[in-house]
Amino acid sequence: MNQLCKNTVPLLRVRDLTVSYHRVPAIHHLTFELEAGHCVGLFGPNGAGKSTLLKSISGLLKPETGSILIGGRELAGSSNLIAYLPQREAVDWDFPVTVEGMVEMGRYHHVGLLGSFSRNDHRAVREALELFNLTPFSRRQIKELSGGQQQRAFLARAWAQQADIYILDEPFAGLDRTSAEALSSALKVLVGLGKLLMVSHHNLAEGELLFDTAILLNGELIACGKTSEVLSPLNLECAYGTAVYSGNRHLS
Amino acid sequence: MTAASILSDLITPFGYSFMQRALLSCALIGFTNGFLGTFIVLKRQALLADALSHSLLPGLAIAAMIVGLSPGGLLLGGLLAAMLVALGGQLMARNSRLKDETAVASLYIIAFALGIVLIRFSKVKIDLTHFLFGNILGVGNGDLWIAYSAAFLTLSGLVLFHRPLLLVLFDSAVARASGIRVGWLETGLLTLTVLGLVASLQAVGVLLSLGLMILPAATAYLLTDSFTRMLWGGAFLGMFSAVGGLFLSFYANIPSGPCIVLLLGILLAGAYMFSPRYGIVSRLLLGRHFHEGSLQRWKGHEEHHHQVPEVDGENR
Repeated sequence: MNQLCKNTVPLLRVRDLTVSYHRVPAIHHLTFELEAGHCVGLFGPNGAGKSTLLKSISGLLKPETGSILIGGRELAGSSNLIAYLPQREAVDWDFPVTVEGMVEMGRYHHVGLLGSFSRNDHRAVREALELFNLTPFSRRQIKELSGGQQQRAFLARAWAQQADIYILDEPFAGLDRTSAEALSSALKVLVGLGKLLMVSHHNLAEGELLFDTAILLNGELIACGKTSEVLSPLNLECAYGTAVYSGNRHLS
Repeated sequence: MTAASILSDLITPFGYSFMQRALLSCALIGFTNGFLGTFIVLKRQALLADALSHSLLPGLAIAAMIVGLSPGGLLLGGLLAAMLVALGGQLMARNSRLKDETAVASLYIIAFALGIVLIRFSKVKIDLTHFLFGNILGVGNGDLWIAYSAAFLTLSGLVLFHRPLLLVLFDSAVARASGIRVGWLETGLLTLTVLGLVASLQAVGVLLSLGLMILPAATAYLLTDSFTRMLWGGAFLGMFSAVGGLFLSFYANIPSGPCIVLLLGILLAGAYMFSPRYGIVSRLLLGRHFHEGSLQRWKGHEEHHHQVPEVDGENR
């Protein structure tokens, strides 16, 4: 059942992961491995635990059992190697910060509490802005960007942070077609640069177009591997049908 | 009236040492609380700060019962009472159905009522109105020391931790994911808020202390898109308004607290109306097509009917 992604030295390794809210497991006994340089789509019905999985990899939720290893090392709490990108509605777009200021936030960890930005830090910010085509908008307040540009600005911040793993929770929700295409090509750029992207997504039809790898989830892991194989009719029936793989929560 | 006589009229009050102390205290507290205000406004905790300001009262009353009117005792009492309400509210919200704002509101209003009752039992005779509305001309050296230490602690703490705080304010989940101790920073911010409220008691009292904290930052927020400018702008607005309000109150012979808050209110109203970017009047004057880029593209689109305007380029 658990078809593991093939690898030699996996960047992200999740072993026997269970995460609960008030003793009720939202995901249980997940085991999978993911390599760098892939864009991984996370699929599953509502309440399947997609956000829970992403949050626990980001260090926002404590696992009940199991472990999460980054590059072979146990993840202690949270790490700067992982960039968690907020859902759009969680962001205060009126915040007094420009695009450039937001990308600079990604460098705070490197700069320290009171240190000033070195030439290196400024270069990292400039590169991040250029990589995501944000240079012309760098002086704008973040609300003055289109939805796709806003997503790219957060990617740029994660890039400036020098993260290896990018966690995106439903980034395509509420984007129009043009913005979604721009975001998708930005994600492809990151994959090309050897980053690992984990993206939760609800539209199965776009799965193969956007992601080379997919994880299908419904409380437990249904499948993990090449997108075309994971999103097979049988697997989808397992994930979205209620008869077999409905998980603990439906037993009562 | 000659220029010299106006000048001497302006300077005269500063011959009195109580006026000098009042002025110094106003400037310090105005600056500090204006600075702190940016964090409270961006954290959307203005109403929590209001609740805390009311919950100071029972602490002050108990302190007055035990040690009399010493500034140190009052500071400690107020600090404890407000922290109890803040933490108690969180505890109640976590352990029951009540949401946190209901829990905090219930606790603070109970605390406030308790404070009014307790003041009757105070050892020394206290005028309730001094607690509620302040008595700036009664600022003693002890109060000044509190103002000094509050200013020092608040400003150094906020400057030292401004980067992690900024990350927490902007998005606490992302901040936590990148390894920042969000809980500690939030508790620290809460403690500084209570400290700022207690420090401004003499100047504006329990009921108006919120004004020095929220109004300058709210005004600055309407005027700028830069966090740094909002921070320092709020601080200087707070300082100048506190000092200006004190002058006004002296010459117009009205209480200093309302005078300071009203002056800040006028500034906020001004920014609300006329802020170049976010003022309602300014926005009306700008017309319907706010963004020049999209206007130009739209005109180009009308000329070449077949060319579809680019969507992701410049639109907002």
